Amino acid sequence: MSISRRAFIRNLARSSAVAAASTLFPGITFAGWQKMDQPAGSIQWQKAPCRFCGTGCGLLIGTAGERAVAVKGDPNCSVNKGLCCVKGYHSIQILYGKDRIQKALIRKNGKLVEAPLQEALDLVASKMQSTIKSHGKDAVSIYGSGQWSITDGYVASKLFKGCIGTNNVEANARLCMASAVTGFLTSFGLDEPMGCYEDIDNADVFVTWGNNMAEMHPVLFSRMLANRKSKDHVRIIDFATRTTRTSQASDRSILFKPQTDLAVANAICYEIIQNKWVNWDFVNKHVSFHKGKTHIGYGTQDHFKFKDKAETVDFKAYKAFLEDYTPEKVEKISGVAAKDIKYLASLYGDPDKKVTSFWCMGMNQHTRGTWINNLVYNIHLLTGKISSPGNSPFSLTGQPSACGTVREVGTLTHKLPHGVVMKEKARKLAAKIWNVPEKNIDPKPSYHTVEMFRALDRGDIRFMWIQVTNPMVTIPNLNRYRAGAEKEGRFIVVSEIYPTPTSDVADVVLPAALWVEREGFFGNSERRTQHNDQIVPMPGDTMSNTWQIIEVARRMGFEKQFPYGEKSYIEEVWNEYIKFHDNPKHRMAPYKELKARSGVQWPFVDGKETKWRYNAKYDPAAKGANGDDFDFYGKPDRRAWIWLRPYEPAAESPDKDYPFWLNTGRVLEHWHTGSMTRRIPLLHKAMPEAYVEINPRDASDMGITNGAKVKISSRRGSMVMKASINGRGIPPRGMVFVPFFDESYLINEVTLDAFCPISKQPDYKKCAVKVERA
Amino acid sequence: MPVFSYLAYPISGAKEQLRNELEALAHCEVLPSDNAEVLVLVTDTPDEAEEKKLKKQLGQLTSLQSLGMTFGHVDDEWPAKRSGHEH
Amino acid sequence: MKASEQMNDKKIGKVFLLFAGLCVLALPLVVMAAFNYDTGENTTALVENPPMANFDHQGNAIFERYDHIVKAYLEGISTERTLEEYYARRQYPGSPPVIPHKIEDSDGAEMACLTCHADGGWTAELKRHTPVTPHPEQTACRQCHVPESDQPLFVPYSWTSVQPPRLGRSYLPGGPPPIPHDLQMRGNCIACHVGPGAVTAIRVQHPMRGNCRQCHVPDLFPGVFERHSDY
Repeated sequence: MSISRRAFIRNLARSSAVAAASTLFPGITFAGWQKMDQPAGSIQWQKAPCRFCGTGCGLLIGTAGERAVAVKGDPNCSVNKGLCCVKGYHSIQILYGKDRIQKALIRKNGKLVEAPLQEALDLVASKMQSTIKSHGKDAVSIYGSGQWSITDGYVASKLFKGCIGTNNVEANARLCMASAVTGFLTSFGLDEPMGCYEDIDNADVFVTWGNNMAEMHPVLFSRMLANRKSKDHVRIIDFATRTTRTSQASDRSILFKPQTDLAVANAICYEIIQNKWVNWDFVNKHVSFHKGKTHIGYGTQDHFKFKDKAETVDFKAYKAFLEDYTPEKVEKISGVAAKDIKYLASLYGDPDKKVTSFWCMGMNQHTRGTWINNLVYNIHLLTGKISSPGNSPFSLTGQPSACGTVREVGTLTHKLPHGVVMKEKARKLAAKIWNVPEKNIDPKPSYHTVEMFRALDRGDIRFMWIQVTNPMVTIPNLNRYRAGAEKEGRFIVVSEIYPTPTSDVADVVLPAALWVEREGFFGNSERRTQHNDQIVPMPGDTMSNTWQIIEVARRMGFEKQFPYGEKSYIEEVWNEYIKFHDNPKHRMAPYKELKARSGVQWPFVDGKETKWRYNAKYDPAAKGANGDDFDFYGKPDRRAWIWLRPYEPAAESPDKDYPFWLNTGRVLEHWHTGSMTRRIPLLHKAMPEAYVEINPRDASDMGITNGAKVKISSRRGSMVMKASINGRGIPPRGMVFVPFFDESYLINEVTLDAFCPISKQPDYKKCAVKVERA
Repeated sequence: MPVFSYLAYPISGAKEQLRNELEALAHCEVLPSDNAEVLVLVTDTPDEAEEKKLKKQLGQLTSLQSLGMTFGHVDDEWPAKRSGHEH
Repeated sequence: MKASEQMNDKKIGKVFLLFAGLCVLALPLVVMAAFNYDTGENTTALVENPPMANFDHQGNAIFERYDHIVKAYLEGISTERTLEEYYARRQYPGSPPVIPHKIEDSDGAEMACLTCHADGGWTAELKRHTPVTPHPEQTACRQCHVPESDQPLFVPYSWTSVQPPRLGRSYLPGGPPPIPHDLQMRGNCIACHVGPGAVTAIRVQHPMRGNCRQCHVPDLFPGVFERHSDY
């Protein structure tokens, strides 16, 4: 008997039994039934990027009828080649939580009650208009995210910057990627990595800088392990402040004291110069030296302002600057043995080894985030290990479209889709494409994210529209900003899929469509733009964020700027948006191309993707300079910039009263604030609640046992939670670690709102706490 | 290869136990109802001997009150011999 | 290296231990000494690295085993061991299995078990592939594993335990099944789920993927997420 006949008979057996049960028990249901009723052949598969991290894995979403029922890795997507992580494999289960927001909610008499969607949209538009009238255009704001589809962010920027005329446009990527952006801009003049994931297959040495890739970018991590397995000489070096799953997989795990990565990076450069490992041919042709301001502060006060000033120096000055960073001196600052520093330098310095450095939040969420990005580029520039296969300083992203939407569309206060608001040329281009008067676009940036929430607390901002993000879990020093959002006279609109601590404080909640319930685009860490069609219908009154903004814009009288058709708006908005990037340094793939392929890397020129930038062998915008293929065309001197950036301490370090570092972050199973992944049964069961990791010896000294209640307090707030000893990770003595996914334990009530003065990105990895038995 | 389906009724309060016991048996597929004290059981055995063995095992389950057959199919071209294991 | 053995009461023969002539399947577990970079004496100034083996269910065992066994072994298949046999050697799912074959030095505490059971391989006399222990760092094998015996019981007993976890527990069709067992002493996935010594029914189809727990997570805690909000 053939398999299919046998399956058919089994299916017949099942349906007979279900039919019999239905006659005996009217209304009976079998949850497992529909799943089993679908033989594998009847599943339809369609491509989509993964909803979660910035890796940008290609998924194939399986549907049966109108429901998504299965996921597999897309073998045609070069990112993951058919593999996903546990979140990706179960990602479609975020569509079907029972508490999905399907109707608009309006706060009436203090309670959120269901309301017709049109009424809610009318209210959002009229409230925005009345706020502008009473308090001025800079009293309204929009706060989006790196999970915004590219078209969401684009229409948000167009409405607020172009039509309303306020630069109050920010996104949560400020909290995760801003230092990467300012790092790229200061070192290379253009944002986003020069390399691509193929570097992973080509490198001989990997150094992960404060980056637990085994949990945070697991698919890329696997690719790294596969490379090591296939070649005997490949080494993975984990350079971190805490021992993690990545440390376990590494060939060598080196721990440093928080904040001292600055000193170690300089010491590596010192060693490279001392040992004559400098690639002089490269440095002479393609590098220039610069220094900026020092003692730049931490931004903990309202209205904090800082502007860096670059001064060109020569190699001699750089060498003299590095005298403070001998391995022996740095050992005392960093706790990294001098011989380990020399070892790291020898890996970078070996002319026969291709080296890739990876980092993400460890370097970006750092009060000197821009500086540490610069310093790691310095290492790659001194040795010429950049812009070629396997030689790559690689800044990873944490959200699916942090690059695509926030960085490329420029949904930050100072940015436009092309260029910055301060530049007249950029404003002219935007005004022309947006069909608005040029004077509409304010040449002065307003508030970066932390300052925007401070302005809301102060009352300078009265209206905030929050889309696809959960700031009432993620803003540091949260107590202040939640109280601010709840003040009288503030109006908060939240576009969401599930109730969260943020929708809890909303005056209007707009039901949002999820990623495969609408057509959209994401952009991943390696400059790859990824399109998906609408794969399943939108439930209830849900609507894409793009369309919500268009509806509100039209109600505010901007029909002329938002003329798009309800069926074709995604394509129309895309075609309008890519006019901003119509040059060989940033050209985006046409709609047709993106629809057909599992992601396309920009610059997309003459039908070809660009895998490595600044190298004429691969990048059509690079002309080659000074007799070889490299061309750092982002800077006016066509050189990459080495920066003299010193070590400066953290904003708040442990002291007598608060003797521990508090470090926060993610876990494999949960993504960001868990508002999606905690509704996936398997992921919740595997990781049901947050905990505080304590070093076993510290725990023993304090009499704390595994699972015991512990109180963590800072100068800003406190939290009681269970201790985890020898669990997922181990902090060194004097540090505790708490994952932030659990809204029942809002660890950001304890963290500090200090930020990098250049990028304005907060440091979630370092503040001082005390730890007691509770 | 005989294929049968049944409605399986647990003794009072033992639906979960019955589900576990049935799922532990070879050749059995179980679909518990979401909202009624009944389970669908589909059995698919390789040959008559296995079928007999299974019937006997079913008879010994303490959590099972009764079985009502809803479907039966016995193919006459049973494979003479099967290699490998049924999992 | 060989030892006289008796396979239950069926036949007497010789067990050829692992490395004999098995080029393809020989798996020298390369000790990581080559890259063991000593951090030296002045430890007071240094940040202390905790021992890798003591956390996350000894997660480093997976990575080490993955990195150091050869591709041919990873992809090796065999159909000898069945789940029935596997559970028959255990009193409950997760209990230490009995030793089903005769052992030469039945009094020694530190046994030569690891010669075969650390890396697996074909044993000609038993005509089968050796199962691999998930915890080779434990060397006092006989502390937990005792030989099987056909001695009559001292007194009759009544013992039942839970059913072994059922297979195919994926939450979605084709999805990665969760880990249905505790990870203590059994965290080295590759030892039991990969290679010719593995039980057929639980051997993975994609042994070349090394970071097992990026897709397979424990399914141990009951319940679903419930929001508690004062708003």
